[in-house]
Amino acid sequence: MTEPSSAHPPDTSLCIVSAHHEAAWRAGLKAGTPTLFGIGAWGLVVGIAMVKSGLTVVQALGMTLLVFAGSAQLAALPLIASHAPVWVIFLSALTVNLRFVIFSALLAPHFAQLPWRKRFALGYVAGDMTVALFLHKFPDPAPQPGKLSYLKGLTYPNWAAWQIGSIAGIFAGSAVPAEWGLGFAGTLAIICVMVPLIVGRPALCGVLVAGAVAVLAVGLPYKLGLLLAVLLGMLTAMAVEEGTEKWRQIYRGQP
Amino acid sequence: MSDWEIWLTIAVLAVATAATRSSFWLVGHHINIPKRVQEMLRYAPACALAAIVAPDLMLVNGSPLLDLINIKLLAGIVATIFYLLRRNMLQTILFGMGFYTLLRLMHVF
Repeated sequence: MTEPSSAHPPDTSLCIVSAHHEAAWRAGLKAGTPTLFGIGAWGLVVGIAMVKSGLTVVQALGMTLLVFAGSAQLAALPLIASHAPVWVIFLSALTVNLRFVIFSALLAPHFAQLPWRKRFALGYVAGDMTVALFLHKFPDPAPQPGKLSYLKGLTYPNWAAWQIGSIAGIFAGSAVPAEWGLGFAGTLAIICVMVPLIVGRPALCGVLVAGAVAVLAVGLPYKLGLLLAVLLGMLTAMAVEEGTEKWRQIYRGQP
Repeated sequence: MSDWEIWLTIAVLAVATAATRSSFWLVGHHINIPKRVQEMLRYAPACALAAIVAPDLMLVNGSPLLDLINIKLLAGIVATIFYLLRRNMLQTILFGMGFYTLLRLMHVF
């Protein structure tokens, strides 16, 4: 374990990281701008999907403002529509969100000096794109001037673009007839989030098993088929990874 | 679901966001995640999304329909191929919705 603050007295490093840095703020804004249209469109799709799955406008607004996690929201919608128990919906959303745990482990050491409330809030609003762009610019977690301003320059417009898109989608979706099948856009969006996560053969095997089990076990009570599918898919992926490693070792003639 | 149940669901979803995104921010300093756990964290989201999408694409009125008459499945496969080629979410959604709507309106199959 390395404490980044140990090289500096805590007060100094706090100032270095958190003091407003105009150039870094603008740099963050500039780096994030090309992604904003896509984020807004993704928000729009989730907004439409929320009202099309039966949420009222007020419930959908509450969901987008409080939850702020598109893929978890899309995952929850069919479960809400089919009256799944709340704990099953919670576990499903938690699983979809697990990738954020890795992100938070990567990003958090950069801001260890900030007060906990600030760290909590920053983590809450840091989505996939923000983390990728930030780590591209600052690979090293040591305190550096302008880091916080850069992160804010990425995060605030990202949050605003998502919410504007989502709220537009909520109102547009409630005005459009159900026969148009706009809810299907949510399914297509999940495919676009899922495909880049399928890196390598273990992940592909896991995804195929999870999909097949989810279809076959759809009749299980309390929507438990979903959790069973995730569990078996994950175990398959891990088994394939272990198997490939062992095979490689044998092939190289190592013990 | 009744109104309060939906609000309860929204509340637990907010907890799911906080628990995953803010977890290590609250810990603060650097922690090495064991390799096994990293594998699980990496594979679980893709599996969960597959488990959500697959029934949506493959089930028609509650039973599997792996046929060209299933226009959602067809549109889903075509959209996946489109995404693999273009790597652009917005274009894929527009293309996939266009394709789906065309099939739906024309009763092609």
